[in-house]
Amino acid sequence: MGGAKTFNWAGWSSLILLLLAWELGARSTAALQVYLPPISEVIGASGQLFIAGQLGDHALVTLERFFAGYLIASGIGVSVGIGLGYFRSLHNLVGIVIEFLRPMPSVAIIPVAILMLGIGDSMIVAVTVYATVWPILINTIDGVRHIDSTLVDTGRTFGLSRWRILWQIILPGASPYIVTGLRIALAIALILVTTAEMVAGSKGLGFFILDEERSMNSSNMYAGVVIVAALGYALNRLFLALESRVMRWRHGMVARETA
Amino acid sequence: MRAQKLAGLLFLLALMAAWELTARAELINPLIVPRLSRILGVFWDLVSSGQIPMQILVSMKRAASGYLLAAAVFIPLGILMGLSERIHRALEVIVEMLRPLPPPVMIPVALLFFGLEDEMKIFVIFFSCAWPMLLNTIDGVRNLDWVLLNTARTFRLSRAGTIWRIILPAASPQIMTGLRVSLPIMLILVVISEMVGSTDGIGYFILDAQRRFRVAQMYAGMLALAILGYALNQLFNLLHRRLLPWHWGMMTRRDEG
Repeated sequence: MGGAKTFNWAGWSSLILLLLAWELGARSTAALQVYLPPISEVIGASGQLFIAGQLGDHALVTLERFFAGYLIASGIGVSVGIGLGYFRSLHNLVGIVIEFLRPMPSVAIIPVAILMLGIGDSMIVAVTVYATVWPILINTIDGVRHIDSTLVDTGRTFGLSRWRILWQIILPGASPYIVTGLRIALAIALILVTTAEMVAGSKGLGFFILDEERSMNSSNMYAGVVIVAALGYALNRLFLALESRVMRWRHGMVARETA
Repeated sequence: MRAQKLAGLLFLLALMAAWELTARAELINPLIVPRLSRILGVFWDLVSSGQIPMQILVSMKRAASGYLLAAAVFIPLGILMGLSERIHRALEVIVEMLRPLPPPVMIPVALLFFGLEDEMKIFVIFFSCAWPMLLNTIDGVRNLDWVLLNTARTFRLSRAGTIWRIILPAASPQIMTGLRVSLPIMLILVVISEMVGSTDGIGYFILDAQRRFRVAQMYAGMLALAILGYALNQLFNLLHRRLLPWHWGMMTRRDEG
């Protein structure tokens, strides 16, 4: 995002050129239209789906699952991560189990979740939680470990309670790492929700896109893809906005240190 | 260090024993979680009969094609975009539009174009590995020390020579990062695309076993995937150490410190 100061004419015109080529190419070759309907038709289809309320319903379902999964995973990841980062002996104990589970691609858990929870919201949320926990957990552990131990010792010397050490020293100290983990987790959660909806869903944007593909409604399918992309973009922006608010103290600090 | 590893290993063994015992006592539904010994037995049978290695081979062919294709396209493109501000600006908006797309969403699009063929999976992997490879390469080239480039100019190195002997080596740690980040993405996407639209491969194998209620087979397939993920990571480390020994040394020393 280098073009914050001046409008990126070249970039936007090449995007418009690409879209124009899409439109004209699709219009001129009938054989292509099955796969790639003109972009104007995709936009028209999105409008119609929105007015009919269909797309909005699916998007809402996906968003609910996304937030449920993401928030639960954040709670688990941060709290367990702090525990494992702070108590070395605990980490020594479960470290191997983590190393054992982590290399398995998280989506492989979907069949197990279907078996245990059936097809539905709880399955999709569970799968999302499982996959989303990892980056948060690993980053939180890293963050706690990178805290200068002098800080914790100073806190102890001043007779701070465990809770205050946790809230006023460990959590703020580890927060840059935790935020990184949370940001990586954002993309992963969206991937898992849409995937689970494709594999076993009857609602949601993932289901909608795959379903429209199967019934060869390619305009509707592309409309769904555009909505998911917009959702991903909006969620990322929201996160960055929240981050700059919550972490303002840190930006000030870094600026002062580097000045 | 030894004693810590031992504690972890003992904990893992205790977990496994707990699994075996609860399953034997039928405290959990054996149709959902079978005995661990049974899963391991089935795993061994499937490996020795060649069924699992066969499925993994099928998956890995797709994965490697998509991954290497993405590297062949997006690393050179990244170098180009890193070197030329003009090209970077021209393509920036398109990249920023496509990047937030969760890769699995491309599966239906790929299905539409390629059906259930291998090309479908290869395209999906190609698309999803593109962004980490591209963005890391751009970053690597942009953060180049300008003294290096000026030195190359002073010695009248040709353009190709500069790219090959100065830019590529200097940007290689970041390019390596892009390749490393793409590795698990590749594995995830091959599994997903085989679950959604395939008749073979390890992703299909696991989901199919679940649908037929061959639960032990399903867990065996997952175990195979975990081993595969681990092996791929080790293989990558080996390559990293071979190709960029100086950088590997720097990295591991920092981790220890």
